[in-house]
Amino acid sequence: MRSKPCVFLACHLYIVLLLFMLVLAPALPANASEPPENAYLVELINKGLQVKLASEREWHLLLHYRENLLGGHTSEQDDPGFFMSPDGKTNPQAELDATLKQFFSEELVGRSKQPAQCAFIARYHWLRERLQFDDSRLPKMACERFDRWFNDFEAQSITLIFPSAYLNNPASMFGHTFLRVDQKGQTEQTRILAYTINYAAYVPPDSGIAYPILGIFGGYSGYFSTYPYYLKVQEYRDFENRDIWEYRLNFTEHQIRRLLMHSWEFGNAAFDYFFFKENCSYHLLALLDYADPNLHLTDEFLLWTVPADTVRLIASKPGLVSDIAYRPSRSNVIRRKRESLPTSERELAHRITQDLGALTTPTFAQLSLPKQAFLLDLASDYLRYRTETTDSPPPEWKERNRAVLTARSQLRIPSEEFKVVPFAQRPELGHKTSRAAVGAGWRNNDTFEEVTVRAGYHDLLDPEVGYTPGAQIELASVSLRHYNRVDQTRIERATLANVLSLSPIDSVFHSPSWKFNAGMNTIRFGDCPLCSNGVLNGGIGAAVESRWLKREVVFAFAEAEANYSRAYEENHRVGGGGTVGLLTDFTDRWKLMASGTYLRYALGDQSDDFRWFVGQRYTLSQNWALRLEYNHRDHDNDVGFSMQAFF
Amino acid sequence: MSKKVIMLSVAVLFGMQAGLAMAANPDTGPGCGLGKLLWSDYSHQKNIAPQVLMATTNGFMGNGTFGISSGTSGCTNDGKIMAEQKTTLFAQLNFENLSQEMAQGQGEHLASLATLMGVPPEQHAAFFAMTQERYTSLVETGEASPVAMVKAINDAIAAHPVLARVSAR
Repeated sequence: MRSKPCVFLACHLYIVLLLFMLVLAPALPANASEPPENAYLVELINKGLQVKLASEREWHLLLHYRENLLGGHTSEQDDPGFFMSPDGKTNPQAELDATLKQFFSEELVGRSKQPAQCAFIARYHWLRERLQFDDSRLPKMACERFDRWFNDFEAQSITLIFPSAYLNNPASMFGHTFLRVDQKGQTEQTRILAYTINYAAYVPPDSGIAYPILGIFGGYSGYFSTYPYYLKVQEYRDFENRDIWEYRLNFTEHQIRRLLMHSWEFGNAAFDYFFFKENCSYHLLALLDYADPNLHLTDEFLLWTVPADTVRLIASKPGLVSDIAYRPSRSNVIRRKRESLPTSERELAHRITQDLGALTTPTFAQLSLPKQAFLLDLASDYLRYRTETTDSPPPEWKERNRAVLTARSQLRIPSEEFKVVPFAQRPELGHKTSRAAVGAGWRNNDTFEEVTVRAGYHDLLDPEVGYTPGAQIELASVSLRHYNRVDQTRIERATLANVLSLSPIDSVFHSPSWKFNAGMNTIRFGDCPLCSNGVLNGGIGAAVESRWLKREVVFAFAEAEANYSRAYEENHRVGGGGTVGLLTDFTDRWKLMASGTYLRYALGDQSDDFRWFVGQRYTLSQNWALRLEYNHRDHDNDVGFSMQAFF
Repeated sequence: MSKKVIMLSVAVLFGMQAGLAMAANPDTGPGCGLGKLLWSDYSHQKNIAPQVLMATTNGFMGNGTFGISSGTSGCTNDGKIMAEQKTTLFAQLNFENLSQEMAQGQGEHLASLATLMGVPPEQHAAFFAMTQERYTSLVETGEASPVAMVKAINDAIAAHPVLARVSAR
């Protein structure tokens, strides 16, 4: 392999090598009988040490090192296959040296079973550039698998994809993000053919109740995958009825290449998946950070990474997002199409979905061809919506859809483009996830000051911009209140989870509304003026939407509730009842909610409750709002005014 | 039913070949690069494909989800679709959307199919009109076999006075 002069050089360097061994002993697991051709390796390691390569940001980005609180570094990667040194997870220097050593070898490494130069191609390219590899002494290997994979993307640009919450499932408000690798020559029509880069946890079969626990504490492994975008569109838009937002990112060709090279390296690794922080969005941020190290995206997330927050962060970086596109869910297409029609035609379209005889009526025949096409398209959309969202749909729905489409195909004109205006504004315009509030008020014949902190996420009165209307999910909220006259400071309220979904019912959509609340509040009951009260409440109901003023939603729930407090006889009570309420927007900034609840407790402390609530919110800006809330229960009146900030 | 039917068609496509894929690809690593095949610990292979479409909500893949990846027929070891399989795989996985758009004489799935079949953009309108005209027979063929539908469309292109000339097939 080597010519004669090189052997001489190698011998010469062997002495140097021996000297270095003494210095590098802990970092370099090689031994003194190492063959002389590794002299170049020693030279490279030495050079790397001199310029402190192992402490450069680029190396830390490549290996996902984060600084420890007490000094030192730990990689967020958990798969040993990702490291070349057994100490790689915690020792950047050892990893760098071992990586250089492995570059000389054709041994297949990592899960992807390739030579290190190919398996860790981004590391190779960076080190090659920084240390100016001499190709005659460290031959560059051909990486055909990578080249084929890379070329197949025909990458032109990168788009961040954000499927927003789906209706009637507030938990999906956390959202999901993935990347689409846009192809050269791709048009608006053909972008569904592009590949995506998607990170998700693999949940093994029969995980049952272990699922949420393991999900939160990193019990599952996450993997990257490259689905074609059309599969993701089907999944989110067609089956889950979620709007999809697409943010085109302004990356240069060089940055796109970096991103893909680093993605390729992820194929060697399984990450422990942590639902709250190291989740789908977090690892995408790491990819984007590597593409453009100036972004510093991962640095901004310490405790949790909410996908919608990452979208806001990315959109807030000047010049990073160049174009935003909206892809409506099928249910929103249907809603907007119906809105655009006069009542008679709306009913006609609905009749078609039930009875194809409607197509032969004179009313239908009199319509213009484009109008007939529009109604048939709407009918087909609706039949597909019903079949795809019903567990075991009757087969005649599908047959009817075929018949509708056959009739449609006979019209021989293309459907006109129909622009769907989203119901929710762009997610990046929404308020941030966490909320803090300070306020003051009166309760009975006392006054109080109050501080509230809520980890997440959105309640019905919060500014609705960027959020799915009618969906509430509050997690981990605590209110601390000081009563002035009795001079008492107490935890006034605490919420573990308070989830509520209002889905307006009309002739087409009839999902139920539902709610669930677990937490505590402070009640006045019997002889106890201020008593802590545990609450567990769940209900199912319905909502109707109207547009008299701006937009109003009227709702009603049947519900069951269990309370625990020392104020009660036997310390508890369990009962049922109902709630009716109204949610209305006076202006874009001003919203009101009013509700009344009656509950009768048949178990434990036999009693009943009649409650009123009236709350108003005024939006000051994206992340600031004012609240005025009135709560009434029995002889207990509570009025509070507060200022809220989202952060 | 169509959700199930789409899924079933996907299941047929991937599920039937799962045994083969496992035999051909004893390495249960992530293939390479992106994409991870998880057949190995999956016992009900006919259900694998449905999960693809259902499961990645909010970053959690469900039971037995797979990434399009190693050894799946039509996929490379590195999670890509083989060039010669792109069109039929697309037709199979998007059959419901395609049949709707063929009837409507336009749409992104149909335009993507035209692109995959080498029809230049300026002739897409002619392609759309052609598939609209043949809607009934194409969908009937497609319900039996998407591969046959692709072939029928190809034959129709070949018989078309303009499309035959301009399409790079």
